[in-house]
Amino acid sequence: MNPKLHSVLTINGERRDVLAPASATLLDALRSVLGLTGTKRGCNHGVCGACTVLLDGKLARACLTLAADVGERAVVTIEGIGGNGGLSPVQRALVEHGAIQCGFCTPGVVIALSELFARDPRPDRGAIRGALSGNLCRCSGYAKIVEAAERLAGEAR
Amino acid sequence: MDYVAPTTLEEAYRALEAEDARCLAGGQSLVAMMNLGLASPARLVGLRRIEPLRGVARRPDGGLRIGAMTTHAELAALEAGAAGPALLAQAARVVAYPAVRAWGTIGGSIAHADPAADYPVALLAAGASIEIGSARGVRQLAARDFFRGFFETALAPGEIVTAVHVPPGPAGARAAYEKLSLVAGDFAIVSVAAIAGPAAQVAVGGCGPTPILSALADLGDDALLEAGRSIAAASDPPSDHRASAAYRRRVLPELLRRAVRGAHPRP
Amino acid sequence: MSGTTRAIGASTPRLDAADKATGRAEYADDVARPGMLYAAIHTSPHAHARIRGYRLEAARAIPGVKAIVTGADLAGPHCGGIIKDESMVARGKVRYVGEPVAAVAATDPETAGRAAAAIEVDYEPLEPVLSIDAALAPGAPLLHEDYPSYVKTVQGGGHGNVVFESTVEEGDVERGFAECDTIVEATWETQAQHHVYLETNGCVADVDASGRITLYATCQSVHHIQQRVAEELGEPMSRIRVRATRVGGGFGGKHASNIHSIAAWLARAARRPVKLVLSRMQDFEIQRSRHPARVWMRTGARRDGTILARDVRVTIDGGAYADESPPVLAFALLMSRGPYRIPNVRARGAAVYTNKLRAGSFRGFGNPQASFAGESQIDELARALGLDPVELRLKNAMRPGDTAFGGQQVPSCVLRECIERVRAAQRAAPPLAPRPGRRRGVGYAALSHISGLMGTAASVQLRTDGSIALATGCVDIGQGSDTVLVQICADALSVPIDRVSYAPQDSDSSPYNWKTAGSRSTYMTGRAVALATHELRAKMLAHAGDMMECAVEDLELRPGGLVGLKGLPKAVSFKEVALRSLFHSGGPIAATHGFVFDGPGFDPKRAAIHQLAFANLGVYTYGAHCVEVDVDEATGAVEVRRAWCAHDPGRAINPAACEGQIQGGFVQGIGYALTEAMHWNAEGWLTTTTLADYKVPGVLDCPVEILPILLEDPDPTHPVGAKGVGEISLVGAAPAIANAVADATGARVRRLPMFPERVLAAIDARA
Repeated sequence: MNPKLHSVLTINGERRDVLAPASATLLDALRSVLGLTGTKRGCNHGVCGACTVLLDGKLARACLTLAADVGERAVVTIEGIGGNGGLSPVQRALVEHGAIQCGFCTPGVVIALSELFARDPRPDRGAIRGALSGNLCRCSGYAKIVEAAERLAGEAR
Repeated sequence: MDYVAPTTLEEAYRALEAEDARCLAGGQSLVAMMNLGLASPARLVGLRRIEPLRGVARRPDGGLRIGAMTTHAELAALEAGAAGPALLAQAARVVAYPAVRAWGTIGGSIAHADPAADYPVALLAAGASIEIGSARGVRQLAARDFFRGFFETALAPGEIVTAVHVPPGPAGARAAYEKLSLVAGDFAIVSVAAIAGPAAQVAVGGCGPTPILSALADLGDDALLEAGRSIAAASDPPSDHRASAAYRRRVLPELLRRAVRGAHPRP
Repeated sequence: MSGTTRAIGASTPRLDAADKATGRAEYADDVARPGMLYAAIHTSPHAHARIRGYRLEAARAIPGVKAIVTGADLAGPHCGGIIKDESMVARGKVRYVGEPVAAVAATDPETAGRAAAAIEVDYEPLEPVLSIDAALAPGAPLLHEDYPSYVKTVQGGGHGNVVFESTVEEGDVERGFAECDTIVEATWETQAQHHVYLETNGCVADVDASGRITLYATCQSVHHIQQRVAEELGEPMSRIRVRATRVGGGFGGKHASNIHSIAAWLARAARRPVKLVLSRMQDFEIQRSRHPARVWMRTGARRDGTILARDVRVTIDGGAYADESPPVLAFALLMSRGPYRIPNVRARGAAVYTNKLRAGSFRGFGNPQASFAGESQIDELARALGLDPVELRLKNAMRPGDTAFGGQQVPSCVLRECIERVRAAQRAAPPLAPRPGRRRGVGYAALSHISGLMGTAASVQLRTDGSIALATGCVDIGQGSDTVLVQICADALSVPIDRVSYAPQDSDSSPYNWKTAGSRSTYMTGRAVALATHELRAKMLAHAGDMMECAVEDLELRPGGLVGLKGLPKAVSFKEVALRSLFHSGGPIAATHGFVFDGPGFDPKRAAIHQLAFANLGVYTYGAHCVEVDVDEATGAVEVRRAWCAHDPGRAINPAACEGQIQGGFVQGIGYALTEAMHWNAEGWLTTTTLADYKVPGVLDCPVEILPILLEDPDPTHPVGAKGVGEISLVGAAPAIANAVADATGARVRRLPMFPERVLAAIDARA
């Protein structure tokens, strides 16, 4: 067995103990150790974007981030978006605009758009497409995801 | 496997002495390789906490000293200035995706030395040099001497890329980066980085194990295409499922012309 | 009934959307059971080899290993959907690199992986067969020496490496060509495309004290998986229970089973729950692809553009096992006439075995290959005739009352309207600015597909409080059937959709459904839901009539769950009806409706059909695509700038869901057209096993605008007029793009994907 390392991670504002092999990724830690299964494993090699989380407010691939290397950086996962079980504006826009199909890419899409709207409440179509450029979706053709974000940007205008 | 996170370069050099130890910079290539079973280092030396590896310093001549742990996103956000730094910024903007740009580092990328990556071409064209540290001291190597082959660099065991030095480029010169890829964010089929003023310095990627550097004096369209054809004829591009070697040779001249034209619209 | 309360026609947010947006939705890999083991698969390193023996001692000796299975443990007959030629792990021979050879269950994933790697298999390598030509070459090594002894539900193959052959013929092709002024002929080649559902295949097999197995699976049918696992494990279906998790995309790739039996076997052996979730690499290696195909086609017309004859030969590469090759081939043949009136057509085809991953069902099911050739050839014919390709399509397009290839009557057909609408929309759109170094082109494709197939059922019950419990076996794989079926049910009862619950699929309790496939959920299961709900409504009205002492004819449903007396305010609530039935008289109110597709089939007087793998298909649906592309003449790179996609959903139950299907299908079609290809090397190793190598289009690779146009023409055989648009939306992308590339450059690309290199080669070949 691989020896396990102890790390203390700050996840969605809570300090969580993680005991995992040094090779464990943040995605492994979230899903297998902490039971935070909202973050999805789509490829495990950094291309699909389903495991996107926020690391100190910036987009990060949980599958390309070693749990032991997270350190003091604050992690926000899909479970940390929206308050009191309610939907965040990004989540609501996706739900209401029919932008969610199989849903497996959705947590990563929510994180990517949340990061965008935190930086820029009124992004244009180019900025929205750029922010989503690392998230593969196999169901929607992206059209309704982009439109949902545009609608949300329009509300902020 | 074990993981250590030194806070000084000296500690990092000591940690690297262990058998089969590797540096962990942004992890955007290395961790993917570990997940795919293509790398299994016995020890990872995390460089995140080493302050001297961070930050971008402007040199008096308009060039930059870029700390090895500078991310692609930080480089992409550089204000347009002298041609050399501008070229790096252009290359950084088309590396992979936002999440990878947020954490992937220039030091990690060049130490990985993927021949289809965006930095090697940009660094060669910009005439950059690589600052390399080890317990034995610091040395600086021209980018064209740093990239040695397919995923192979001049780094010796125990050495760490500590910074990249990018000169400003000739006065009045401008930069452009042309990348042909199958989809956005993918590695290049062929890429060309150019710094052009009255003359041009170009580097071609994707057409061999390391970028091909050329200096061009005649920047007319025909001369550029001709130069591209001779570079192509002398190159040894790979054939893979994205494109054949013949295709890479075929498109190189026009991409070279576009890169130089992008930097220098009037011949 | 107030128009504003209709559930049908509203772009209602999906019932599962909030759960998916918050990460609460439970997919297969999110399932955990106490004491769960983890499975790992030992796969074949050879494309073709005989298995001489196994050495398992080293693997067994690893602490934490609880069960191992190899082909030597399997005693029963081979399995498979149509030709029973495979097993959950290889027996006797391996036939592709990556084929499961053995599997291990251990206490954690790392241990399972180490144990799988420690299994030693003694192989005798055989010469691999890696292409259609190699499979058909005289003296080619045989993949399946035992083919004659396999159990088959269709006949028509078995000589050499031929899995299946089929022919459909109408009219007299030779005579037809003799009357033509212009004839064009060419061959098209298409690649293996992978589904790349974002969620890889996986399941958890649990086992109770009696040994009864419960599988939690990401799948397109609980009933199909139940049947396959029972067959493979030699258990009655009553001992296997399958529950669907949320499904992270399917597209046909989760329509059949192969790994579920492995998990179930290991769970039964270890008497503990076992999780088996494939890595992306393994999913590429061991699941399924779209069939690579070679399509030769010859079409002739009179000078005025009247198409008189078409001759087609389709050869598909089925990979190592038959899987869905027979029906995919047959459907490709049926689609090869295109949606046109052509009096003389002959379509012949064969599916062959090769030592590569099995090809199977994938959105479009043979139609993308046939239509890439057919719709490209229509443009080539137009060019040869000097006619406008859109006018040529309109001139020959099918109209209502025509027959499809094979002789099936088609009562409704809006093909011409679809073509005219996309053309008008493209012409009306403000032109995009030209770009230096790029040539702009416009291309069209006209399409048909089916919606139907096989059997399904639905059941509804009235609950104590007057709300409704709806259950079907239809698994929502992302296309939105949960919501659409609830909308159909709610609409029939004039209640808001939150008064209808929809049961998750469970083989113990869900009414039978064949599969989520064949663009059939809204059409087939939707029909069953509507008719079951109508029956429920009739029973409720009968109760209400008794309660209000009036004739049923005098009653009406009122919005919000009331049965009223026409013209009077008097009403009883669904709750009162329910309480009467439960506690006073009549008993619980419930209804079930089940049927098997019963529409018109082929016409043997019109078409000569040999070996077709199905009797009747479904209702026909039509569409047209128009794309604008920019082609970089120096590199051959193609960029799709805008697209218009007109489709006939019969009646759009949920217009936003229809549009999402159309846009998503079209983009999967862009991947098929331009970027996606599975590639095998000379030893038969798949070299595109990561998403870094196999390129799925991202948002920046897609047009900024994909404009769906819904042309609703209610289907007369469906109670609310609906039919499916799930597959047809993929079919038009490749030919429309190829036609646009030809329009831009004069270069004809006949091979998919249209990688820049191939486009440039076609540009070079122009002169």
